[in-house]
Amino acid sequence: MFAGFDWDVIWRSLPYLFREGMTFTLTLTALAMTLGVVFGTALAMMRLSAFKVLAAVAGAYVNLMRSVPLVLVIFWFYFLVPWIGGWLIGARQPIQVGAFMSSVVTFTLFEAAYYCEIMRAGIQSIPRGQVWAGYALGLNYRQTMAAIVLPQAFRNMLPVLLTQTIILFQDTSLVYVLSITDFLGAASKVAQRDGRLVEMYLFVAVVYFIISYLLSHQVRRLQTRLAVPGPA
Amino acid sequence: MSYTWNWGIFWQGAADASGTWLHYLLGGLAWTLATTLVAWVLALASGSVVGVARTLPAGWATRFGNAYVELFRNVPLLVQMFLWFFVLPELVPQALGDAIKQMPPPWAAYVPATLCLGFYTSARIAEQVRAGIASLPRGQRMAGTAMGLTLAQTYRHVLLPQAYRIILPPLTSEFLNIIKNSAVALTIGLLELTARARAMQEFTFQVFEAFTAATVLYILVNAVVVAGMRQIERRVAVPGLIGGSGPRTGH
Amino acid sequence: MAMIEMNQVSKWYGAFQVLKDCTTGVDKGEVVVVCGPSGSGKSTLIKCVNALEPFQQGSITVDGVSVGDPRTDLPRLRARVGMVFQHFELFPHMSVVDNLTLAQVKVLDRSREEAVQRALRYLERVGLKEHAPRYPGQLSGGQQQRVAIARALAMDPIAMLFDEPTSALDPEMINEVLDVMVELATEGMTMMVVTHEMGFAREVANRVIFMDRGEIVEDAPKDDFFGKPRSERAAQFLSKILRH
Repeated sequence: MFAGFDWDVIWRSLPYLFREGMTFTLTLTALAMTLGVVFGTALAMMRLSAFKVLAAVAGAYVNLMRSVPLVLVIFWFYFLVPWIGGWLIGARQPIQVGAFMSSVVTFTLFEAAYYCEIMRAGIQSIPRGQVWAGYALGLNYRQTMAAIVLPQAFRNMLPVLLTQTIILFQDTSLVYVLSITDFLGAASKVAQRDGRLVEMYLFVAVVYFIISYLLSHQVRRLQTRLAVPGPA
Repeated sequence: MSYTWNWGIFWQGAADASGTWLHYLLGGLAWTLATTLVAWVLALASGSVVGVARTLPAGWATRFGNAYVELFRNVPLLVQMFLWFFVLPELVPQALGDAIKQMPPPWAAYVPATLCLGFYTSARIAEQVRAGIASLPRGQRMAGTAMGLTLAQTYRHVLLPQAYRIILPPLTSEFLNIIKNSAVALTIGLLELTARARAMQEFTFQVFEAFTAATVLYILVNAVVVAGMRQIERRVAVPGLIGGSGPRTGH
Repeated sequence: MAMIEMNQVSKWYGAFQVLKDCTTGVDKGEVVVVCGPSGSGKSTLIKCVNALEPFQQGSITVDGVSVGDPRTDLPRLRARVGMVFQHFELFPHMSVVDNLTLAQVKVLDRSREEAVQRALRYLERVGLKEHAPRYPGQLSGGQQQRVAIARALAMDPIAMLFDEPTSALDPEMINEVLDVMVELATEGMTMMVVTHEMGFAREVANRVIFMDRGEIVEDAPKDDFFGKPRSERAAQFLSKILRH
């Protein structure tokens, strides 16, 4: 049934697909993960803070992000970032923000809401006695969090954080709606130029599948390794 | 630097002359819900079958279930959407392919979008169902068998009623996810809520009004679903039987 | 001279009062044992001393510094008071020696070398020097608790608080921990110890405090306490835990 298809189109466009497309996808994933985990951890600490206002603000942010489709959030920030940027530097008009910058901001702020909930669960899983022990030694809140609570929370939650990152990796394909040349975007451009939709989209699916499958397999191995009791 | 707000825009006639912009957006919400609900029924049915298959004593059933879940979980939803919309009609026998391609406008996007969302979500539900059944004490299955129930009866009367209660909270989040995920259907031309907010922005240039309205509508739907599921949870709760779950990933 | 002084301390969890007008003290060099049935508030009381638990009424001073005063630099005060917990609370992601050096470096600003040197000295004292590079999860409960004591001692505390230090231990490990505590007591360390180990109390305590339902029911020199407990509740409690 595959007669009449031109699989050679994949071979011809490989350099473009990976050098342009996949590079964008992976860079965006790595940046959004790093910044998202940092901001998400800050949000988690705010949500658990004794200052009610801080906790409420962080909670509202997280719930808002988690109630709205990612596609809509991408549109929001695509139009919002130029205005906020202009406002920040006091420009008279919305500034020009590149597609890449806009995507990094969007995915960082969006994924942070999900990373926040993971880190919050991680922080809450640390027994109160650990915090007491830190305080009893004279450490202050910042030191106790930095040296005792967060390293343990991060370690316990590492498999979940990585699983969320695999979802992020797949989600970055949605920058397609901004006509950006990520991996899917690149494939889509070739597909439409050469009229080879079937070949290109099947190939894209296979590549995403292989990468995500291998990564999630590694995460599962890590999970079993971390779950083994005894030597830390 | 100033943006000209115009909240009155919602009462002005929409570009497609069907009514006001507010009507236009609410129409989008209707398509969002129509897609979501049908896809949800599909997802719940096939997800339950696959989830149960993964807990059966038969090795082939487990392997089939695992492959099914891996397949739908490791390909981005948007790519799956393209596979259903662009690729599938080319791979089926030509007569069927042509019939698919000749569907009139909303259905040409609605049918693949619903199938796509349904199967995508079914893999996630299958995982929940499997985990729910696996979390039950092994003695429950044995007790059912020991009483002379068939395997099917054990599932129907002993295992599934408990498993569904346990996974009700994660099912709620899956339902919220499927609503949000339906926005991806705009890429194949379904004029659901997000697509219409985007269209309104392009016609009127009132970016922030359009997106605010869509955001508020999504939040309202969310609130209704959460409240509804809480009612259901309360209705089916069995004293002493508690469900719970750790942190979940997903959207 | 009073090292720890408590005056009319009261504490509530919501409407429930866990501490009722507790007044007592620990002099320099004194060993005070606090006992009582579970839920009597003894663990809460000892956690109030270094403000791990806040209290709503009364006052506590440690070496003349008021614990409840919002202007008090709590981390500094806590750094001077050692504490040992029921569940050890070693930091599982750090090696034993790092557990001992963390606060020395971060709070006392000691150099890493000095901190390690001291850590090893105190580990040697509790007989665990060779375990320095290992992780807490690789040690037995008794060994972990001895490390926890060394961790507190490495801060050169002016007083030590023990919150049921042996009640999470298997019976055969209790003595190795008590031996370290007895040694500390005989060297003149100021100690406040929540425990049911009446043998320990008989051996080294100066005073015994008996608590019940958030109140200090008895506060007497050791000999008086074991000789003729004056309250009905204390007598009952003693007969229960000393029967075997």
